[in-house]
Amino acid sequence: MNFSLLSSEMLAAGLGTGLLILGLIAPKTENRRGFGYITAFGLLAVLVATFFQYGINQSTFHELWIVDDYSVFMKQVFIVAAILVVLSAVDFVETLPRFRGEFFALIVYALLGMMVMASANDLITIYVGLELMTITFFVLVAYQLGDGRSSEAGIKYLILGSVSSAVLLYGMSILYGLTGTTTIPEMLTKLTWSPILVVAIVMLIGGFGFKISLVPFHMWSPDIYEGAPTPITAFLAVASKAAGFAVMVRVFLLGLPLEGAVDWMLLISLLAGITMVIGNVVAIPQTNIKRMLAYSSVAQAGYMIAGLMSMDAPGVKGILFYSMIYVVANVGAFTVATLVRRALDTDTIADYAGLGQRQPLLASTLTICLLSLAGIPPLSGFVGKFYIFQAVMDKGILWPAFVGFVMSMISVYYYLNVALYMWRDDPKDDRPVPVPGPAKLVIVLSLVVTVVLGVYPGPLGELATMAAKSLF
Amino acid sequence: MLKEYLAISMFFIVALLIPVAVIFISRLVAPKKTTPEKEEVYECGVDTVGDTWIRFKTSYFLYALVFVVFDVETVFLYPWAVQFQQLGTFAFVEMFIFIAILVVGFWYAWKEGALEWK
Repeated sequence: MNFSLLSSEMLAAGLGTGLLILGLIAPKTENRRGFGYITAFGLLAVLVATFFQYGINQSTFHELWIVDDYSVFMKQVFIVAAILVVLSAVDFVETLPRFRGEFFALIVYALLGMMVMASANDLITIYVGLELMTITFFVLVAYQLGDGRSSEAGIKYLILGSVSSAVLLYGMSILYGLTGTTTIPEMLTKLTWSPILVVAIVMLIGGFGFKISLVPFHMWSPDIYEGAPTPITAFLAVASKAAGFAVMVRVFLLGLPLEGAVDWMLLISLLAGITMVIGNVVAIPQTNIKRMLAYSSVAQAGYMIAGLMSMDAPGVKGILFYSMIYVVANVGAFTVATLVRRALDTDTIADYAGLGQRQPLLASTLTICLLSLAGIPPLSGFVGKFYIFQAVMDKGILWPAFVGFVMSMISVYYYLNVALYMWRDDPKDDRPVPVPGPAKLVIVLSLVVTVVLGVYPGPLGELATMAAKSLF
Repeated sequence: MLKEYLAISMFFIVALLIPVAVIFISRLVAPKKTTPEKEEVYECGVDTVGDTWIRFKTSYFLYALVFVVFDVETVFLYPWAVQFQQLGTFAFVEMFIFIAILVVGFWYAWKEGALEWK
């Protein structure tokens, strides 16, 4: 048993528990701003620690736990997302009626669940990590006490999330029944075609599809994204989805054979195509920015899952690269939405009118992040999409690239629609939109990273290539 | 392959038919003499009062959660205690870390008033 492979998870668990204890010791009357900074610095330390785990590629605890470059890269995606979300939430937390300190502890615990998912090499470990993440999110989604919509979103997520977990668990139990093992690499050698395997794979796709909001399992996301506190929406949209991808890629590529068993690729590519189309088309009529971003994130899931179709390292590299830039661009967009919501008390896109005159920094960040999500060169979103679709086209599968290209063109319409309101129209009133320090840091970071990675994707691309190669 | 599933599907059909048959036959055979006593929800015991669709205090839920903490703790403590001699110092330290984590949770619940009936 090699406990050093668990070091980053232990650090995260220690940080979360430490925050909880700190909340118990600190006087109730003190404000909780410091907690946000402690969390951000703690997570930064965990991020630094993960860099030492590159190149280990070992498994421990009878193959239950694996630390390969792929899992380390995914963990860094989650940690970066958590740091950005925590910083953007420092001022938001001040507006919460109760339980301000615990907010950060819960974010760290959700992060811990995602890290467990990334390193899990076994169905039960995956499930434990998944539940740690999901149950924490139930609480976080309903965090705004006294706000009916937040509670509604929490209850909806609780019920739908439980159903999807149950479906996933049932699929896993069938896999165990067929093979007699829960370890992913062992499953690969033992699975052969049988009707019940079809059921198991459909259930797995349903369960994971819920987490990454693949059509037709995406129905929950607009409602819950709209009701949840905006920083949590950001975390849910980026980190929880990336965690779903982390597990899905590992289980499907390393655990479920294609030859001689069920052709799950057919189902996945079908759903990827439908997801790209529906996500983008339904996003067009949305008037609420959070709902619009929810449907856009459904569409992004479609692009990312298309990377699975190549079944090789370049495809996985595309998924990894895209998740990182997706995290940065989406957190940037949601942080702007948080600040506008705080100042103007609205999420309606029409109320963003004149943001370019009011707060040019916010307006330009939102514009750049949205254009990056749409995949306009030279921003990083274009590079990510390029990596994914190039990998798929190299395998001779052309249609995902065509669908992706046409749908990206369509998505430019609704993304630019927001920009149009912000830059063309005049503001309705002259209330200021303040940008507090930590949130400004997040916004500037996401702006700079989105642009820089688009022009100079080399280092991150190499890191992603190394991580993807460790899977094969 | 399909033959094995045939046996299972036969089993399913029989399993579905038996309860249907039982309910149907008892409908046919059973005498129907109702008295007010028989119409009660519970034939014996305390008379029911009011509607069942009422609100419960969320404190019940909190108690249940705190109970689960200790329940899970016991599940792990029993096998540990039985094999204590063989497991050695490592398991001893490990169990104390586990209990420490639970105690933090319990401390939190206590401090936040989960055990007070308000």
